Amino acid sequence: MATDSDGQTCVYKNTLLAGLWRENPVLRLLLGMCPTLAVTAAVKPAFTMGMCVVFVLVCSNVMVSLMRNMLKPHLRILMFTLTIATFVTIADLLLKAFQPDMSAALGPYVPLIIVNCIIIARAEACASKNPILLSIVDALSMGAGFTVALCVLAGIREVLGTGKFFDIQVMPKAFVPWAALSMPVGAFLTLGFLLGLVALITKKRS
Amino acid sequence: MDTVYLLITGFLSVVLINNLVLTKFLGICPYLGVSGRIDMAFGMGLAVTFVMTLSGTLTWLIDHMVLIPLGLEVTRYVCFILVIASAVQLVEMYLRKFFPPLYDSFGIFLPLITTNCAILGLCLFLNLWGIDSLLEAVVLSVGGGIGFTMAICIMAGIRENLRMVDVPECLQGAPITLITAGILSLAFMGFAGII
Amino acid sequence: MRSIRHFFEQSWLLIAASFFFGLLIAITNAALSPKIEQNRNSKLNELAGGLLPDATAFTPIAETIEIQALDGKQQRLVVYRATTGDRTAGWVFQVVGSGFADKIELVVAVDAAFATIAGFDVLASNETPGFGDQIKYSYYRDQFKGAPTDGLTLVKGGDPTTIDAQIVAITGATVSSTAVVRAMDHYLPQIKTQLQQKGLIGHGN
Repeated sequence: MATDSDGQTCVYKNTLLAGLWRENPVLRLLLGMCPTLAVTAAVKPAFTMGMCVVFVLVCSNVMVSLMRNMLKPHLRILMFTLTIATFVTIADLLLKAFQPDMSAALGPYVPLIIVNCIIIARAEACASKNPILLSIVDALSMGAGFTVALCVLAGIREVLGTGKFFDIQVMPKAFVPWAALSMPVGAFLTLGFLLGLVALITKKRS
Repeated sequence: MDTVYLLITGFLSVVLINNLVLTKFLGICPYLGVSGRIDMAFGMGLAVTFVMTLSGTLTWLIDHMVLIPLGLEVTRYVCFILVIASAVQLVEMYLRKFFPPLYDSFGIFLPLITTNCAILGLCLFLNLWGIDSLLEAVVLSVGGGIGFTMAICIMAGIRENLRMVDVPECLQGAPITLITAGILSLAFMGFAGII
Repeated sequence: MRSIRHFFEQSWLLIAASFFFGLLIAITNAALSPKIEQNRNSKLNELAGGLLPDATAFTPIAETIEIQALDGKQQRLVVYRATTGDRTAGWVFQVVGSGFADKIELVVAVDAAFATIAGFDVLASNETPGFGDQIKYSYYRDQFKGAPTDGLTLVKGGDPTTIDAQIVAITGATVSSTAVVRAMDHYLPQIKTQLQQKGLIGHGN
């Protein structure tokens, strides 16, 4: 990257940082809410989900970027969907083969990555206009932002909801787990307050 | 009689106990986005119910008539999403041509629905729950749509009133909606165990 | 002629991509399906091995067992024969109960004569954390180890450590406790009769 001109490096750096905070898909753009809420009862499934999304995002961005000059405008969305669905199927098979427990825990939320708006939004906004390398950087940055947001949310819910972190007991024995946080209600409340916190931080900074 | 009982319990279960929005977290994006006005929410709900019934039935048929007999379960996700996308397109064209008033009332929501995870989610859950009769698949699809409509309308009603409330500045918008949804899902948990 | 050309001009990429993606899925599936199959078996073996520690192998029996599920539907059940060397050590199968919020999937092991339950494990459930999901914990599950296969009853109080047909319910989770007992009472006699008819177990006791 450094061999390119300064402007070029700047673009890559900006893209890389955008996904983590400024344009964080979950915390700032509110994309991909369904897995964010559904798989964050514990950190391990949340992390696995994040990795699946990174995989699908990178593959589909590469594919879309490769065929960006051949795309017919009215068939664009169909092509994106087809690409994403293919890579989600592959991710699902990989998960079933190498992480069977996680595959069972995530259940239908793995195929639901197909309709995760993050991936189609990145294909449309970035990969269909930019060369491969920038598309990959963009995919990695957005994927990392998504994974981090999921893990933060899952961390809060797992520690308070079960007293464990990554399946290891971290809270003292006397701590009574807030079971509600492991239930659907916990997902909504934690994400609601987390978004509130993000809004508060953003406001203080500006 | 047994079948009727089974259908009624299945319907209640998918509307109240396993509500797609409040317990399975499906279709949260439109839930946060459009649920500001109750008439818009109802239109969206109708459109979703319509497409969900159609695509739930179609994907169930394709799954049981084509994919399972041929052993092609691995291509299930690709097939499902293509069926849903084409169903949405067809419905949109059909409505625009033959029922313009209906198209005006909820046609604008149709393109949004392709990426609504509630639809694909329901198709996948029909498969996961091992539904093995067409009638049951249809009833559950309608139920899923009605459950979605109910959740989104309740939310729109609450949000209409929320406008007159002094919400802390940092919680305005999506955060307070999520917190409200959390309390709603707590209320819906009370339905568990009625069947 | 022109319309066909127009069609191909517009959609050649879509058609090519469909073939390519189809190929990609086929290759991945071919490469991974043995591994996936193996995982599925080892998961069941692991759970069943915990329930029947003596057994060394689990093989599905060739006979078809048709049972009536809780909701009245006929369904086919795969029964596994657990063996220690040549001797049958027990039977293992998977049943589905109707819990508080959703279905509860159980793996149940019984002894060779189908007289007593060797134990059960929860494969998948969606019960309330902290309440209903206590059916996974050993103080509830241990009550079933050695209990008779027919006529279990649920009681509200009593000593959970004695092994008999009475299962003590979990406080605050009566529905989930009932669900397990009801699933056992519903399925076990049916499977027992079927196995007896097929001549796989004796008619004694």
